Amino acid sequence: MNTLVLLFNLSLRNILRYRRRNFFLFAAIAVAVGGTTLSNSLIRGWQVSMLETAVSGLSGHIKLQAPGFADEPSLERAFSSDTQIALSQQIPMVGMTQRINLPAVITSERETRAVALVGVVPTQENISLYRDLLIEGEGLVGADDGRLLIGRALAQTLQTRAGRRVVIIVQGADGKSRERGYRVAGVFDAPMRWAENVLVFTGLGALQENLAGDQLDNPITEISVVLNDESDRGSAAAELAAAHPDLVIQDWRQMQPQIAEIVDMVDSVMVIWFFLIMSGLTFGLVNTLIASVMQRTRELGMLRALGMNKRLLLVQVVLECVGIMIVGVVAGLVLGVAMVFALGDGIDLSAFSESVEAIGISTLLRPVLTLEDLLLFGGLSVLVGFFASYFPARRALKISPLMAMNR
Amino acid sequence: MTQSISDSGPRPLAKDSSVKAPVVQCRGVKRIYQQQSIPVHALRGVDLDIREGEFVSLAGPSGSGKSTLLNSIGGLDGFDAGTVTVGGIDLGVLNSAELADLRLRKIGFVFQAYNLIPVLSARENVEFILQLQGVPAQQRRERADDALASLGLGDHAHRRPGELSGGQQQRVAIARAIVTKPVLLLADEPTANLDSKTTSELLAVLQQLNQQQGMTIVTATHDPIVMGFTSRQIAMLDGEIHQDTMSTP
Repeated sequence: MNTLVLLFNLSLRNILRYRRRNFFLFAAIAVAVGGTTLSNSLIRGWQVSMLETAVSGLSGHIKLQAPGFADEPSLERAFSSDTQIALSQQIPMVGMTQRINLPAVITSERETRAVALVGVVPTQENISLYRDLLIEGEGLVGADDGRLLIGRALAQTLQTRAGRRVVIIVQGADGKSRERGYRVAGVFDAPMRWAENVLVFTGLGALQENLAGDQLDNPITEISVVLNDESDRGSAAAELAAAHPDLVIQDWRQMQPQIAEIVDMVDSVMVIWFFLIMSGLTFGLVNTLIASVMQRTRELGMLRALGMNKRLLLVQVVLECVGIMIVGVVAGLVLGVAMVFALGDGIDLSAFSESVEAIGISTLLRPVLTLEDLLLFGGLSVLVGFFASYFPARRALKISPLMAMNR
Repeated sequence: MTQSISDSGPRPLAKDSSVKAPVVQCRGVKRIYQQQSIPVHALRGVDLDIREGEFVSLAGPSGSGKSTLLNSIGGLDGFDAGTVTVGGIDLGVLNSAELADLRLRKIGFVFQAYNLIPVLSARENVEFILQLQGVPAQQRRERADDALASLGLGDHAHRRPGELSGGQQQRVAIARAIVTKPVLLLADEPTANLDSKTTSELLAVLQQLNQQQGMTIVTATHDPIVMGFTSRQIAMLDGEIHQDTMSTP
């Protein structure tokens, strides 16, 4: 302990001794770590945005549907709205909602488009993108509201607006097409352009009334569940599968495997990016630290001559390297956190909206900073410093005590 | 009074040599360096006894082997043949770590270039070696202050080497060397960087240590003034002891 205090003290003084050189070294480490923190928080933000987009785009964490619906979506493959959803207390749920979600055709006086007609219970849709829609005109007042909400992009295509009428053609429960006029209650802006083009909302109850046949009262085509913790999806799916063996239960990863793969890949991207930045920094760090050792050849030789063994000399050099790294890393983390906070409102990517949506994120990219990431990359940076100290330490170990006698 | 020996056997000459144990024993010590694959015989079978309480100067021209011999005795450099014992310990059988421990506990070093640690104060420089030995803080502080005070540096304990003159720095180096009470003090050209006045003052300090505390001191030097302060002068030439003289300084 006594010796460790001595070495720590000596290392600290040596770090302070070359203030100018070490200042630039600290600055290089701080900028690298700060930049990595910022870039990683943006990458993490991208990941979170992709996940949110995937989940809030009506799929939820878990979706229950009738068998065969995914391959051939029609009301013939519906199930009863009396289906009860319950999960154990260990798996808290944000919420669940029932819907009818069917392919349909919408026609105005000017244009016709294929859309997804979604019957919703507006009060239950706080778990989907419906919650964040900016509506011009009026929103749906309840499940029995038989008017439509359409996206701004679709409204522009159809050349219609709130208050106008459009016609929807959709297949009913009896397999026959139903054509019916609807009034547009409002036009919504969504974070994702595809939602504006494709989604058409109406009240679930009203839609059930319009489409139902003799087979089912109050049919629904899906139940969407959003959990408090995404990582619970496996156990939640298992519970639901056990409770509803007649339904198909899929989590968002099964429904959107490409997005799931990208989300998984993001962690690897962050680590690879980190090591690319840090390996560049390591060359500079090693070079400076070796120069520092070479500059003190006689002094280190003197320590050996006085009786400091190689092990202690090694510890001293490593302590200096790691000490420099720790100070630089802490400064870098502070810098990185400050930059993340400065970008707290997010980066507006609306100018690249089509490209951005193609990679599954919203047009507002918010950096996401997690304590786990800070600790992981801060710790890894110090570890890099530890390994970088190998080269100067090896050089120091080659210094003979005879160097003290050099005149 | 001067006594000279010309035979080539071991040289146990010293004051009271009949009763004092040898601190250093060299027998047939050879050291060969390779310079561009040409062997250079730095030491050619040196036999030497240095007894407790002696103040010995190793003198000779460059390349005579005096520094090589000093380094071998101090465990700083190896040797190719023969034996060297310090305080009864055979250096030839020790590994690097054991040699470091021997230097730490048995031998004090004073270097030509002072070699103080620039980031530590005078007191911390002296304490440093005690800290390596694991001496408790309170005892360390007392012993360092005593050593500095005994060399007239009591008021300079808090100063860093850069704030001290050359003579003061060398006295701090001596304080660092003696604070562990080593069996042997080795000094490599300790006055080479000092003016004559400071040289005399410093040599008086070493002489005082030798005479009052009985410390065994071996110094390599070119300087006749240094030789004048020592009780035994060993002249080296071509890797051998050319002359071994005892005198009363």
